[in-house]
Amino acid sequence: MRRMMVIIVLAAAPVCLSATLDGWMDYETGGDSLAPLPGRLVLGGMLEGEGWTLVLEERYSHRDSTGITPRVLGSHAATDVDLALEAGPVTVNPDLCWTLDLGVKPVIILPEAAGEADRRGSIRPGLTLAGTLPGSVEVFARGRWTDRNLETENGDDLEWTETDLEAGATWRTPLGPSLTVGGTGRSIRSDPIGCDESWNRIDLGLEAEKEGLPLDLQVQGRIGCSFYDGTDYTDREIADRLSGRLRIVRMIVPDYFLADATFETLFDIDGDCFRTACSSGEVRMIYRLPARTAVPSTVSLTGKLAVSSIRTSWLGLAASVNVWRGLSVTADAVLRETPTDVQMAGPMRRRLVFGPGLEYRFGEKVRLWGLVEQERTELQEVEVWWRMRAGLELYPGTLGL
Amino acid sequence: MKRSARLLALLVPLVLLAAACDGPADNTQLVVNTDDCTGCARCAEVCPYGAVEVVDGDAVIDPALCHFCLRCVEACPEGAIH
Repeated sequence: MRRMMVIIVLAAAPVCLSATLDGWMDYETGGDSLAPLPGRLVLGGMLEGEGWTLVLEERYSHRDSTGITPRVLGSHAATDVDLALEAGPVTVNPDLCWTLDLGVKPVIILPEAAGEADRRGSIRPGLTLAGTLPGSVEVFARGRWTDRNLETENGDDLEWTETDLEAGATWRTPLGPSLTVGGTGRSIRSDPIGCDESWNRIDLGLEAEKEGLPLDLQVQGRIGCSFYDGTDYTDREIADRLSGRLRIVRMIVPDYFLADATFETLFDIDGDCFRTACSSGEVRMIYRLPARTAVPSTVSLTGKLAVSSIRTSWLGLAASVNVWRGLSVTADAVLRETPTDVQMAGPMRRRLVFGPGLEYRFGEKVRLWGLVEQERTELQEVEVWWRMRAGLELYPGTLGL
Repeated sequence: MKRSARLLALLVPLVLLAAACDGPADNTQLVVNTDDCTGCARCAEVCPYGAVEVVDGDAVIDPALCHFCLRCVEACPEGAIH
């Protein structure tokens, strides 16, 4: 046994000697009169050597239902382990995602009119194989198997499993555009409630990007179609979907003023019926103040509108002005409108969240921030509440081993 | 002038196509804008049907499980689901 240990240590030593270690942390907390200390913690680390990478990330969140009343507080933990091994043009990437619901268990409404169950967590191992073929062709195949821990009131396990299989290829044509072909198959089984759902999808896509156009324009375009084989919760065939997306980025004043606009239109082929599905547009303008300070000062304005059978809209303003060394004063305001399922409040709900804050950056390695914000939201009546939030982001840098 | 004509030639068929189509179904599949999605998983936490999960940092909605309750649309802090 001891000899075996020595052999393992000797074999692992050269690997570790040539490795680097990165770590990161992102912590956010806050609170208001309705929710005590919702927060989020992300801890991550990446060990990287020649031809291999190992990433471990742990996420923990304690959250409310984002201001929807009555609020639901829940705690959730997730662990991701991701190993990538490169051998020439081939990458082998096994991964594992493990989630755990802590405290109050979220209720899941089951298909097949089988009632409700408590969600307790899940475990999801997966394997991805990717490679590059001659002629600028990239291929991948991925399989994931998810075992969800769902329990009924009586404590019965629903043996809920999901299997996802995907494969695809992207060819970067000599003319520039890239062509993508892919297929996805998904099946869900839960024997105790007789659930056996499955659907398949074939995706075709064409994507092109052009830089260096007149007026400093950068244009990205994508068209695609997805053909489905399967049914939705009403037992109707899932509609096939055509999509077109155009993104235009223009640096209006080099280094200082950027405009970024994205438009997307989707069509559904629903049996013999050709329908518009969703049209959306998003425009973002970012202005960087000319002052040459250690931390840049920026003002950004974002507008989004999406219309399908529902409508969502968003208007946001975010400003960060550096005042001294790494210290910046921030101000954020977001006005948004979404559908809501809060009883007596719908069908649309308008929310305005705004407030000032402070941020301090220690170079690229630490960011500390705090803000006070007010939310005004239209429910049965206009409700107003104040919230405080603070966070710490830490990236100590790369450590050679 | 030539550029405007090209743009018009692209837009006119699209507008005609849209005008000739029926309107969206009441339960049109939701769309996740992966540019805006931060993978925070709030959508997965509030979905009462277990139809949303975060895979590789982006929310993915299962069209077979989604009941179009729109809670994910309301909960997404980035407005990435529509």
